Amino acid sequence: MPSKNKVVAMILAGGKGTRLKSLTKKTAKPAVSFAAKYRIIDFPLSNCANTGINVVGVLMQYESTFLDSYIGNGKKWGLNGVHCLVSTLAPRQTEEGANWYKGTADAITQNIDFLDAADPEFVVILSGDHIYKTSYTEMINLHEKSGADATISVIEVDPKEASRFGIMVTDEDDNIIQFQEKPKKPISNLASMGVYVFTWKTLRAYLKKDDKDPNSEHDFGKNIIPSMLADKKKLKAYRFKGYWRDVGTLASLHEANMDIALDKMELNLYDEDRTNRIYTEDVCSVPQYVGKKGLITRSIANQGAIILGHVDSSVISTGVMIETDACLTRCVVMEGAKVKRGAKVHNAIIAPNSVIEENSEINLGKDEIVLIDNGKK
Amino acid sequence: MNKVIGICNLHNEPHLGELTKNRPLAAVTFLGRYGIIDFTLSNFSNSYIDKVYVLVKKGIVAIRRHIGSGAIWNRNTKLGHIDLVLNEKGLSNKPFNTDINNIKEGLDLDLVDFEYAVIAPSYMLSSMDYRPIIEAHINSGAQVTAVYQHIENADKEFLRCDKYKFDAAGNITSVKKNIGRSPIADISLDTFIINKKLLKRIINDSTKISQLYSIQDMINFYIEEELVKVNSYKYEGFVVPILSLEGYVNNSLSLLNYHTRNRLFIEDWPIYTTTHNTPPALYGKDADVQNSFIANGAVIKGKVTNSIISREVLVEKGAEVNNCIIFTKTVVGRDVKINRVVSDKRVVIVNTKKLSGTEDEFIVLSQGAKL
Repeated sequence: MPSKNKVVAMILAGGKGTRLKSLTKKTAKPAVSFAAKYRIIDFPLSNCANTGINVVGVLMQYESTFLDSYIGNGKKWGLNGVHCLVSTLAPRQTEEGANWYKGTADAITQNIDFLDAADPEFVVILSGDHIYKTSYTEMINLHEKSGADATISVIEVDPKEASRFGIMVTDEDDNIIQFQEKPKKPISNLASMGVYVFTWKTLRAYLKKDDKDPNSEHDFGKNIIPSMLADKKKLKAYRFKGYWRDVGTLASLHEANMDIALDKMELNLYDEDRTNRIYTEDVCSVPQYVGKKGLITRSIANQGAIILGHVDSSVISTGVMIETDACLTRCVVMEGAKVKRGAKVHNAIIAPNSVIEENSEINLGKDEIVLIDNGKK
Repeated sequence: MNKVIGICNLHNEPHLGELTKNRPLAAVTFLGRYGIIDFTLSNFSNSYIDKVYVLVKKGIVAIRRHIGSGAIWNRNTKLGHIDLVLNEKGLSNKPFNTDINNIKEGLDLDLVDFEYAVIAPSYMLSSMDYRPIIEAHINSGAQVTAVYQHIENADKEFLRCDKYKFDAAGNITSVKKNIGRSPIADISLDTFIINKKLLKRIINDSTKISQLYSIQDMINFYIEEELVKVNSYKYEGFVVPILSLEGYVNNSLSLLNYHTRNRLFIEDWPIYTTTHNTPPALYGKDADVQNSFIANGAVIKGKVTNSIISREVLVEKGAEVNNCIIFTKTVVGRDVKINRVVSDKRVVIVNTKKLSGTEDEFIVLSQGAKL
């Protein structure tokens, strides 16, 4: 264990991600490809690195093998320096028996030893499947200065959409006075992002209490936060400004990819001073090549891609081959996929290593997103 | 497994004019994302040679920045290493800054545990597996083996390289410079497999023969004087020589051809390079790119044809880039049209709207130039 770190981050990365269909058949959701080069979990991990949080626990459960080896010792995000520790924490057998993580809070409870050993003042709880670029410093500072027990990152959402989220009601000083989990009649449009800063001592006590409650679902949103509110603990809202997306469904994953391809600049991977960069695995590949009859517009493409056909409004990952006369519009093509000669595809996510056969026509003229997944798992 | 070390020799690198003014050739960008040295270092790595010494002549900062800890190339980062060897005395006494003096000053061969050394330059780009060459060398019983290539365009390529003649047993009998008189020649790839004993002898002998001689000069001397049997190995793979600015430009652009490229980049022979954490290349709505390499972090809003675009280059709307090699972080501004231009890093072309070299003479823009 490294010397004392004031802040430790715990990233919840255990969910099954069923709404991503076969993309998560053999891969945990946080390890799904994103934006031609990255995996979703690169975002929270890079954010931790850029914040200077050196100790990170990644809580995993569903299909943890690949995610575990991807995270490795944290080197991809520079988290292998002195005083750094990245630990992948899957459920394990203990003296008391063997348990799966029963909820987000239970995942932390089962790793109290890890946190006790790190002995932080504050714990940051993050989700492994959010796309955003930030430093948590401002939020941690707000938490510390206000003397809050918990600080919850909130984002303003369209009031019509508010019933899909956990909604925070605040007073004029951004103290949280009420919490509504997916309310039918939301009384605020401040949605919880599932990003929390807790004072570790307080959280520890609440986790212990929650652990003993047989009726609890052991969930931060459903149990821990309401229970702290009921006890009149000091809960602060931190207003997040900027791009933030939960990419839990095929449609939202596709849309977030399009946001980058169409250069909406909200996530701004291309900013000049390159603060809060997103780090990822460095895959060895040949240079990216656009062929003599190739055409690529309003898109992003990673090294190792070979583009001989036409591509518009799409995301082309490493090692993807787009053959001559193939035509892609609004497609997210994941690593190693091949689109053969003359094929035409629209509004699709093409899973890793999938092959689109010659002259096939897929989803043309349709608005809904289709997933093509015939690659080797 | 035989004890083999790799020595990447940067002492005899050709000059590429403006491009090598501030950096060794080894650190010059290639195809928008590699450094020239990546090929030799990757060949060592892929051939399971994990103990590597780079004989640096000058510009150690650029080499160091590129290689870092060497972990990108090392198969095992505890067992393997890439050490930079520099003859500091040589920096102030240029003629004496030779590979031999570098080893003498900086690398005590008695302390290095090896039987054979592979000595390879940076500028002969290939996907060369040294293992069969080492095996052939051991089987020959010779103390040194020189790797060569049989070519039929020696009147145009590999000029000023050594060319060999052999006896029936494949031992080299004469060495001459290729001055391009005849197209057919057996050209030295300046790559040698050498026994430890002979390498030590070269270091010792050079003090008596000439202190300005390089390792290669000494081997050639042994051949001429028939002092040492020098075995030869014919390399059949593809080699891209970077011997001049013209060769750098033409050979880089020739790799835009798919078939040529597949001869240099072969399967299961990765060429490793350093990562720069750049996002994927971004293409705007009016982007029009043909027959080009585009590196990560590049933002393309204009037209690019037959060109090589490096990391984080910006090609603005209305700009046209033809037959160019553009290095990292260069900006080609709005409506700027450039043709046959090699731009070094961080050049900003905004006010000069048209710039055109010729097929025989590319325009070279030096690092950080503002136009």
